[in-house]
Amino acid sequence: MELLIKNGAVFDPVNGIKGDKTDISVKDGKIVNNVSSKATVLDAGGRLVMAGGVDAHSHIAGAKVNVGRMMRPEDSRSGISPRTKITRPCTGYTVPNVYAMGYRYAQMGYTTVFEAAQAIMKARHTHEELEEIPIIDKGALTLFGSNWPTMDFVREKNMDKLAAYVAWGLLASRGFGIKCVNPGGGEMWGFGKNVTGLDDVVPSFDVTPREIIVSLMKVNEMLGLPHSVHLHCNNLGNPGNYKTTLASMELANQVKASKDRQVMHVTHLLFNSWGGTNWGDFESKADEIANFLNNHDNITGDMGQMIFGSATTMTADGPKQYANAKLLHAKWSNGDVELEDASGVVPIYYVKQISVHAIMWAIGLELALLTKDPYKMLLTTDHPNGGPFVNYSEVISLLMSNKKRQEEIKTVHEAVHAKTKLPGLDRELDFSEIAIMTRAGTSKVLGLLDTKGHLGVGADADISIYDIKPDQIDPSVEHAKIKSAFSSAAYTIKGGQVVVKDGQITATPLGRTYWVDAKVPQQHHDEMMKDIVRKFKNYYSIQLANYMVQDEYVSHPQVIKAGAIPVEVN
Amino acid sequence: MQTVTIKPRKEIKISVEAENISPDKFGGKTEKEIQSLVAWMGNQKTTLGELFSVKVEGSGPAADTKIVLEGDFSRVKRIGEGMTAGLIMINGNVDMHLGAKMSGGKISVKGNVDSWAGREMKGGELIVEGNAAYYLGAGYRGESCGMRGGKITVLGNALDFVGEHMCGGEIFVKGNTGILPGLSNNGGKIVIGGNTSRPGSEMSKGTIIVNGKVDEMMPVFKLEGDEAVDGVTYKKYTGDVIGNGKGLLYVK
Repeated sequence: MELLIKNGAVFDPVNGIKGDKTDISVKDGKIVNNVSSKATVLDAGGRLVMAGGVDAHSHIAGAKVNVGRMMRPEDSRSGISPRTKITRPCTGYTVPNVYAMGYRYAQMGYTTVFEAAQAIMKARHTHEELEEIPIIDKGALTLFGSNWPTMDFVREKNMDKLAAYVAWGLLASRGFGIKCVNPGGGEMWGFGKNVTGLDDVVPSFDVTPREIIVSLMKVNEMLGLPHSVHLHCNNLGNPGNYKTTLASMELANQVKASKDRQVMHVTHLLFNSWGGTNWGDFESKADEIANFLNNHDNITGDMGQMIFGSATTMTADGPKQYANAKLLHAKWSNGDVELEDASGVVPIYYVKQISVHAIMWAIGLELALLTKDPYKMLLTTDHPNGGPFVNYSEVISLLMSNKKRQEEIKTVHEAVHAKTKLPGLDRELDFSEIAIMTRAGTSKVLGLLDTKGHLGVGADADISIYDIKPDQIDPSVEHAKIKSAFSSAAYTIKGGQVVVKDGQITATPLGRTYWVDAKVPQQHHDEMMKDIVRKFKNYYSIQLANYMVQDEYVSHPQVIKAGAIPVEVN
Repeated sequence: MQTVTIKPRKEIKISVEAENISPDKFGGKTEKEIQSLVAWMGNQKTTLGELFSVKVEGSGPAADTKIVLEGDFSRVKRIGEGMTAGLIMINGNVDMHLGAKMSGGKISVKGNVDSWAGREMKGGELIVEGNAAYYLGAGYRGESCGMRGGKITVLGNALDFVGEHMCGGEIFVKGNTGILPGLSNNGGKIVIGGNTSRPGSEMSKGTIIVNGKVDEMMPVFKLEGDEAVDGVTYKKYTGDVIGNGKGLLYVK
């Protein structure tokens, strides 16, 4: 199966292509140097061509996503589209049904998406959903930040055992990397408490969030995992939390990367860049966070951009969600995953005329505009916490057009003028920078840049074509066209197969599931397992034998090998 | 003035979804055009003309359109959904979701209405001479706002959850209601002529007045003393105190 894409205005920052007319040859699902004369020719007609979109942080599958669906039947009254010959019926906006996740990402030109948090114990559910999400490649990050074994090994300062536990946890959950959510807070929430900063001690474990974060970074590099530690900072969602965020980001200096990537990815920074001391003097500190990123090369972040309207917050940050539910008088679901973290789900409606919401909206955009290197600030909405992923086109058009931003600023609460710097920012991102924030950068941060996020030879033939001619459009003025084009791809090609044409799904192949198989010395594994066996005997409600996700749950695996290597500590 | 009279051609045994029976959809249309409007019977797509005889007299916009329903509509759902103007007169009973999300105009029913009549309605008027079933003027599953405006009058009785999650507007039930009227009420006013039980749990705002007997009070209300409303003296309660609610409950 050969395909030749001609006349595309290609934006491929990894290979230094900035809108040049470049032919792309595809054979057997990969991009190759050239194809035979028998290849199917697709004439892009001068339209914008990029690698398929890659999302490094989105909640698309698993227990809390499904809790969101159950507690929000009203959400499924929107986004309804009936069955077609190819697609199943779709419902929902913030918490769409399983199939809609794949269709809607593909319709936007996205071909790879990573679920941002799964508890090991709930991983089977995550994979049951991932198995049914059509088209896209996917994977899931595994929660380690409040797990009892993690905290025990951190207290013992036994990095070998911790590395062995992480390796085993990734296998048990068929997970892709280390997610760390409000480290220590998930455990404290079991007693109705939370941690308030990096140095609060988690009782009965005698460890601090600081120690947990640093230890997980160390073992992440010992194991040489493709992705870095993926951190949801302590104090998320509290005014004044930017100080905790900066202090957390400082910790990245203590560990050296084992690969050409960051050692810490700080996620949905919109919710962590808050100044002030309460909701009254609430203000943006996005400039401080961006400034830090501009001066450090071992750390990356993503926006978590907020979208006005309906959203469903869902996170392993259980205590935060209780506070949210109280504040908003909203529906609340709480989850306790035994020895591994907590969780909560709360619906929210973001309103333009509420000052805090308007400031939050501005913070996300400030982060993207003030961070100089787009490789350090990925485009996300922390779906569906900041808003549903179908709004990426709105975010792209805002970042590309100061005119659009100024028009929007007129419609939101006046607090954006006094409490943020957004009104004075005139930077407008170009197509290359957008390609980095949605493709090259996300792939690099995930450690998948060899096959994802670019259009060089050897890359996966995941390609999107958008209905705009870059040399004939001024994104600053014609922002509506930009939004419309990025919301509905002219073509999405996944593994060399056309899956979307003119915004309509044309084929629904099943994508692959990425997971990481990390090897540690057998002795470390055996020692670690003694502790695990004891924990299952004493505390878990299920048997160890029933804990692991079996291979049957991952029918199209893409296994990345990793293993223990010595780590250099600064 | 346009008058449209519709009658079932035969007894309807499988429930019909007929949100197209609305002055907004009929206004200025010919018999043929109205007959060709879509309706669903069970899982089968059909037309209004297949199910009903349609007679049109005169012509006019939605605001000048009167729809008269003759015969048995007790298996016909979603009549008048989202209507903004005009009049629907129903001479018998109707199925669920009558006047859901309506924002203007008037619906008058001689018989009974099934559950979710006036669901999430925003304006206009709904008058029921018979009884109403469950969730009168409520929000549909999971919705945080039920009725937001307009007025519902029921001259008979209503079943449970009258005005659940109501955010505005007014509901008057002359007879009795089932349990938990005004559950999670967040605004608006409910007046009950007869008896009820456990009114107003989880109220955050809004007003409930009960003129009959309250079988059982929820323990989440605080007695504030006696107060006269329109010349009648009631015991005034506020709550739900658990959620620091500002709802008002008046009981004789």
